[in-house]
Amino acid sequence: MTVAVLRAHGIAAPLPDGFEGRIFIRPAIGREVPYPVANFATFALPADIGDFGGGAVNLMGNSDIFASLFEYGPESLGKPLFARQGMPRSLTSSDFRPYVLRRGLGGQSGTQWFFTEAGRPFTLYVVLGSHAQRSMLVPRVNNLIGTLMVSPNSSSAQQPASRR
Amino acid sequence: MVALAIVLSVVVLLLGVLVAGLLRSHADILKALHDLGVGVGEPGEPGEPHHHQHQTGAGQSNTQSPGASGPTRAPLTMGPPLPGERSSTSAPTIAGVTPTGDALAVTVGGDHLTLLAFLSSGCSTCAAFWKAFQKPDQLGLPAHTRLVVVTKGPDMEIPGEVASQAATGLTVVMSTDAWGDYEVPGSPFFVLVDGSTGRRIGEGVANHFHQVVELVRRAEADTQAFRVGSASRAYARGLDGPERELDNDRELMAAGIMPGDPSLYPSSLDDVYGRRGLDDQPPISRAG
Repeated sequence: MTVAVLRAHGIAAPLPDGFEGRIFIRPAIGREVPYPVANFATFALPADIGDFGGGAVNLMGNSDIFASLFEYGPESLGKPLFARQGMPRSLTSSDFRPYVLRRGLGGQSGTQWFFTEAGRPFTLYVVLGSHAQRSMLVPRVNNLIGTLMVSPNSSSAQQPASRR
Repeated sequence: MVALAIVLSVVVLLLGVLVAGLLRSHADILKALHDLGVGVGEPGEPGEPHHHQHQTGAGQSNTQSPGASGPTRAPLTMGPPLPGERSSTSAPTIAGVTPTGDALAVTVGGDHLTLLAFLSSGCSTCAAFWKAFQKPDQLGLPAHTRLVVVTKGPDMEIPGEVASQAATGLTVVMSTDAWGDYEVPGSPFFVLVDGSTGRRIGEGVANHFHQVVELVRRAEADTQAFRVGSASRAYARGLDGPERELDNDRELMAAGIMPGDPSLYPSSLDDVYGRRGLDDQPPISRAG
């Protein structure tokens, strides 16, 4: 089976069946220094959405999933918030809460984790379309995050996308 | 008189040399054709090289009896076979880059139609489509239809050129692989995918975008009609195969449609959809 692999900015994501995604760096505004963001979804992602799914999570169906991997600047390294080493690779249904949502939409459920992976500080934010269906949706989330790869140097030149 | 005879002799000699050269050239051409396996002469002779491994009609004899005067079968080479899990109607995920260099993958699954527009930044026909896409709210596509523009990758397109033509908010993927996956012969080319089945339901070329819109509208109507029919009848009863065909026959006969009914054999799209007032012919053929 051919698997689409997104690869850019030091992040590689083999996409499980039914997922689409993008890995990008927003244009800087003023003196802001933007860092890579990866968005993944089981539904059609609009071209211009917020880093954490603004403009997208309201389009989710009950069986949909949205996930965002957001990198922070190196000044965050070593801070207690990012003390956890390594991205969570296997979540459980109990990790999701209806009130852990950046935008509280009825019926949805979310989880957020802060960690350091490959010397880079990240947060992983996942939204399920239906809290009631979390036992069915969480394995699909794990299929996605279980294969995400982060390399130490985000500036390393890499092929943006490929298939294997 | 002697001088005239000498001149004529020289002319005859020159003509002889010319004829010999032509014969030699003709022989070279015949030899080259024979080496290519076109079958001129006696290709079935033992010891002759064969170059027919990729011909169509596998399993059929390609040799002619000596002296046969029938049409010569030319070798038609085929492209590499599609991977086992894919067919001419499969719709794989499109992975590539955006014109700004970010990574992007678009899946065509889901409860909606996806219209893939394979365009180039340089083709003159494509320019009208790029222009039309500048005003997405005026395209007239049915709701729940996602428009995705696919250009070739940065190896064959200049990202800056693509970026200059792409409207803000338009999803553009640069992926040469996608052109191969969807067997795109050239640009512009459109592919319509039904997300609920993950299959291509139409593809082809068009000169104007309103032709494409018309096709999408029809496909959407077909898709909905098929879903309703399937869900409410044989599909709902769990029938498949011969039982489903038998059930369909009963439904048709109950509706007064007997074998041989003209409605079972439409000769044009007008027979299926009713006569339209437009002169335009549907631009996209069914993918199967």
